[in-house]
Amino acid sequence: MTHRFTFLEDVALADTAFQASGDSPSELILAATQAVIETMVNPDTVSPRWHRTIEHQAPDLPSLLFDWLSDIVYLKDAHGVVFHEATAVVTEDRPHGGWNARGHLTGETVDPSRHELRADVKAVTKHLYEVRRDDDHWIARVVLDI
Amino acid sequence: MKLSTSMTLNRITDEVWEIPASEKAGMLVPARIYATEQILSTMDSGVFEQVTNVACLPGIRRYALCMPDGHWGYGFPIGGVAAFDTLDGVISPGGVGYDINCGMRLIRTDLTLADVRPRLEQLMTELFRRVPAGVGSKGFVRLDRRKFEEIMRKGARWCIDQGYGWHEDLSRIEEQGCIPGADPSKVSDRAVERGISQLGTLGSGNHYLEVQVASNDRIFDPQTAAALGITGHDQIVVMVHCGSRGFGHQVASDYLKVFEKAMRRYGIAVKDQQLACAPFRSPEGQDYFAGMNCAANSAFANRQVITHQVREAFSSVFGRPAESLGMNVVYDVAHNIAKVERYAEGELVVHRKGATRAFGPGRPELSDRYREVGQPVICGGSMETGSYLLVGTDQAMRDTFGSTMHGSGRTMSRAQAKRSVRGEQLKQQMAQRGIIVKAVSMSGLAEEAGFAYKNIADVVETVERAGITKKVAELRPIGNIKG
Repeated sequence: MTHRFTFLEDVALADTAFQASGDSPSELILAATQAVIETMVNPDTVSPRWHRTIEHQAPDLPSLLFDWLSDIVYLKDAHGVVFHEATAVVTEDRPHGGWNARGHLTGETVDPSRHELRADVKAVTKHLYEVRRDDDHWIARVVLDI
Repeated sequence: MKLSTSMTLNRITDEVWEIPASEKAGMLVPARIYATEQILSTMDSGVFEQVTNVACLPGIRRYALCMPDGHWGYGFPIGGVAAFDTLDGVISPGGVGYDINCGMRLIRTDLTLADVRPRLEQLMTELFRRVPAGVGSKGFVRLDRRKFEEIMRKGARWCIDQGYGWHEDLSRIEEQGCIPGADPSKVSDRAVERGISQLGTLGSGNHYLEVQVASNDRIFDPQTAAALGITGHDQIVVMVHCGSRGFGHQVASDYLKVFEKAMRRYGIAVKDQQLACAPFRSPEGQDYFAGMNCAANSAFANRQVITHQVREAFSSVFGRPAESLGMNVVYDVAHNIAKVERYAEGELVVHRKGATRAFGPGRPELSDRYREVGQPVICGGSMETGSYLLVGTDQAMRDTFGSTMHGSGRTMSRAQAKRSVRGEQLKQQMAQRGIIVKAVSMSGLAEEAGFAYKNIADVVETVERAGITKKVAELRPIGNIKG
């Protein structure tokens, strides 16, 4: 599957910004996840030896995406890993008015001799943060502190 | 003069520009930008927008300030300085930044370029091996939660107690490497989990460890330089730029969330979500201050452990103990921090984000060693140009809450820098100019190319002419380690 994201220029001079999109919230969250992963490492150089299931609930989709991406940054430091691939399924909990996401991350312990490492992401920020829906299309703009 | 803003800018002096409080609804004080006309014309529009947003925050005193290395940041601009009354003012994680107590440390040696040049490749390899850098790197110090909490409370003192440094190092660190009031119960488990294995690591981005040369022709004030241990004659020094790593980043992220909710409770409206703040005296404000101080102390400890590793590397390469190589710390300064300080207005919580404390001579906060000359200020340039050692002045105490610049400041995006040069190509070009680079990430190296930054000499000249710091020496790179 091709994840749709573009790194944005002149949005964050000292940091990294991207726009991700998808035809569903699941595709959106996957595209944004891939952008975060590729900011840190070339995922083709990482093997899927480390596995983690991640789950989040939030009152709205912007909060869900923000918490999800922040979790990836946390896992990178707490487990000393970089990532190979992610899966995610997002569902709207219509009766209760919230959003859920469940997915899987693979990767392995950082090894600079094998991994093509890029930037160490410090945080997902709320600067110019935006998640919006255009008809059946979902778009997010995210700035990462580097 | 063509600017990136249409705001009114009144010239106060050739280096100080004021945006009046009438310029934007809600401004409580004017905004002042330190810049020459030339630097002002290169500043992005975010600087003007953000510094005037800061001027709207409750309890701000005198001015919202931006230093000449200023550029767009999160909420506050990088280069931002703002002081808030501790009784009716706020504290804001956006005024400190995600990398709490990101800062600079300078270590002197008795070695000269002639001693080091023949073994430079070996030295850089040894430093690269001993000081982990880049994504996911781990330090050699194994910690459990109890020990990590001691680091939060004791900062660099913990390192000295463990043998990672010399006792006299403490008198050469801002706050003697330990800020009181740190409370480990105010940081999350996630913050601890992110930071517990990262003590003694550099990180990536613009963080670095650099071997530099102090030559006679670049010493501007020999007497002050000598007082700081800088003797010239192609003397070798080592500069370290890094902060509190994942621990501090998580503390900042956690409290931004807390403050978003707290603002509603306290009826505070801000112009930008990243300016989330709470009254300094509120439970949330005090909790953040206690948690931020934990992260600040961990950053002092981080740079102390790196100093230990630097000494070990030099000792191993030159076959002599670090003591006999004269490897004393010159100074260690924070440039992302909020601190309670006393000024004419009373007790203020001074936020410096990409700005350095620059206390003038005689201040009681300075150790005896530097009370006469003023506080050393360390400003890092790009890895291709040079860095500067300066000292604080009385005028900084009067004009800028004892603050000055911190570095050169970016003018080009990371993506644009990567398009302009490849990491391998830049490494070769620098080697041809006598600078050996060891980098974990080649793309990260390209992002930090010298042309992506302002000319640090222009920035330093501005703060010197404005009188808020005094030039002591320029330090030129010969070896650089990057994440």
